[in-house]
Amino acid sequence: MPKEKKDSIFKAFKDTLMGFMIHSQVTSMLKMKTYTEYLFMIMTMGDMLGMPLLPPYYSLRLLPYMVPNIKSWKLRMLRDRDVTDIVVG
Amino acid sequence: MVDFLNTPAPYIALGLVIYLIAYVVYSKYIDKRVWNTDPNKPTPAKLYTDGVEYFPVSKYVLYGYQFKSVAALGPIVGPIVAVYFYGWLPALIWLILGNFFIGWVQDYSAMMMSVRNDGRSMGPITYNLMGERVRKILLVYIMIYLIIITAVFAWVIVDIINRIAGSFIPIIFILFMGALFGQLVFRMKIDILIATIIAIAVVFLGIVLVGALPQIRVPPFNFLDPGLVETNMTWPGSWTVLFWLIILAIIYYLAAITPMPRFLLPTIFVGFLPAIIALILVIIAALFTPLTGITINQIPVKDLWITDPNKFQTGPLWPILFVTIACGAISGWHSLVSSGLTSKQLEFETDARPVGGGAMITEGIVGLSSVASVIILGTFAATAVTYAQGAGKLTSSLTGISLDGMTLFYAVFVVVMGMITSMLFVRVWRNVSAELFEKSILGNKHVATIVMLLLMIFLAFTGSWTNLWIYFGGTNQLLAGLALLLVAVYLASIKRPTIYVFIPGIFMAITTVAALIWETYVYSYFLINNKALGPQVNVAKVFGQGVVQISNGFSAVLGAVLAVLGAIMTYYLIRGYIKYRKEAVKT
Repeated sequence: MPKEKKDSIFKAFKDTLMGFMIHSQVTSMLKMKTYTEYLFMIMTMGDMLGMPLLPPYYSLRLLPYMVPNIKSWKLRMLRDRDVTDIVVG
Repeated sequence: MVDFLNTPAPYIALGLVIYLIAYVVYSKYIDKRVWNTDPNKPTPAKLYTDGVEYFPVSKYVLYGYQFKSVAALGPIVGPIVAVYFYGWLPALIWLILGNFFIGWVQDYSAMMMSVRNDGRSMGPITYNLMGERVRKILLVYIMIYLIIITAVFAWVIVDIINRIAGSFIPIIFILFMGALFGQLVFRMKIDILIATIIAIAVVFLGIVLVGALPQIRVPPFNFLDPGLVETNMTWPGSWTVLFWLIILAIIYYLAAITPMPRFLLPTIFVGFLPAIIALILVIIAALFTPLTGITINQIPVKDLWITDPNKFQTGPLWPILFVTIACGAISGWHSLVSSGLTSKQLEFETDARPVGGGAMITEGIVGLSSVASVIILGTFAATAVTYAQGAGKLTSSLTGISLDGMTLFYAVFVVVMGMITSMLFVRVWRNVSAELFEKSILGNKHVATIVMLLLMIFLAFTGSWTNLWIYFGGTNQLLAGLALLLVAVYLASIKRPTIYVFIPGIFMAITTVAALIWETYVYSYFLINNKALGPQVNVAKVFGQGVVQISNGFSAVLGAVLAVLGAIMTYYLIRGYIKYRKEAVKT
């Protein structure tokens, strides 16, 4: 059997085990990380949203770190939410 | 060498071949003819990447994740109960053909429907296609489903822990290791491979210790009810059952309120380590039975048309068989999983077939292993202990490890599968309650969890478990039927062929509503006649017939509510389907 095929079979098996045992932990940790990011996003964007949580000096200092997350934050905030989304945790 | 046809091997092999045909031929046909999947079309994972829920993931990872999310006690216990009622042949036929035509189609179609709808889950899609009323009914349905499934799984687990003394000790090892694993990896930053090796070692140490040291196999059978020891049964209403239900409730409570990576998820990780080995081993052992000399000891067909409600545990073949084997042939829970997270992470549309279809077909294989485990036994009880005994016998002959040891191993496997999924269900209930009742006390995580656990204990403690199992199957399969009909409505709205989902959807909806009506009738019969269903006799003896009446009354009302809600949803979905079909014909 060619080496590439052996490697791809091994990778497929490894990925399947990862999905079986680890993937739900990964998604759960990503969600926990996201909620922390939300906190920073609210602090940074707060005055634009009518919630001046930090003095502008500090929110401007945070802004460069939060700019890369703005697009995904908007997508998540504006997405349809439903109870069936949380059925799988 | 034994008579080949008198071993489980040819029938399991036949099932595997038919499943292979389902995957290679039928699923490919549906993939092209109905959904016309395109690997170049961007999926929601690519269009709406947010690095949290929406991001592309390898199909192999998703396959493992999907299978882990859908695999539970359904394909293990359901076939045993079905074989007990009707014989192994009808059970095997439904397991194979049900999955072939309906099971994987539902999982896959729900996933594709979500992919084509920006990764939305069942709720928003139902709202878009059918309106708010149908969506609300779906939510109520899910809430009731969660209570029933947790109660029935709790009973199955308690029965095994009670009958196989010492089987709870490895579970303690798994729970302990689960809590520790999270600390090792995330706090102490130990390499995950090393932590996994430690976890495997500790889990197997627990199993080996109990196997090797009979003196630590405590507590013994019916230890709080010495008067019931000779009955050789686990009885509802007994103090032993109450004891174990409370222990389970405490574990589920902790899993529901602690952060997931602290306890629940590492426990899932650690618990699934022996589960993978158990699943693979039992199928191999079943295929090797002509060499190990294990033969079938069950008749293929029993009485198929029982309509006497006094034989409360069973009923007519249609509809009861089709709800008894939950999950192995078809399951509505899978559509929630398919559209809940997996669809948001599909890298290519063409991955839906191996992920959705493949995972369900694999679950069918788990069901086959359960059939193989039970048909080699002589007399058996319709409980999960039978699976442990049968799988133990199969694998002991193959591996040479003692029957006692393998039976214990499979008992632990069944308990782990049940506990892990139950912990998730309780957590889901807590989250759903927080969303639905946020303004009231029921939205509080502690109150919501405790309410759920009290209901679980009440149903498991006072009910007849085989009848509860049929409620669970009925609710689960009805959810599947409704999911299929929703997919049919969606396909009608986009003018694609609908027959491959509509006919299975109608069949499941009618069958499951009929099953729920039958069970409501059985409970009502016993309620009106002031009698206890067989296992409830002990409840009546200890707590009085009044408690039995309350339990049966509650169950009868529950069944009626489920049947009515299911019928209403089916009506709305068929109406929606006809409306979209008419519009498609016009244009």
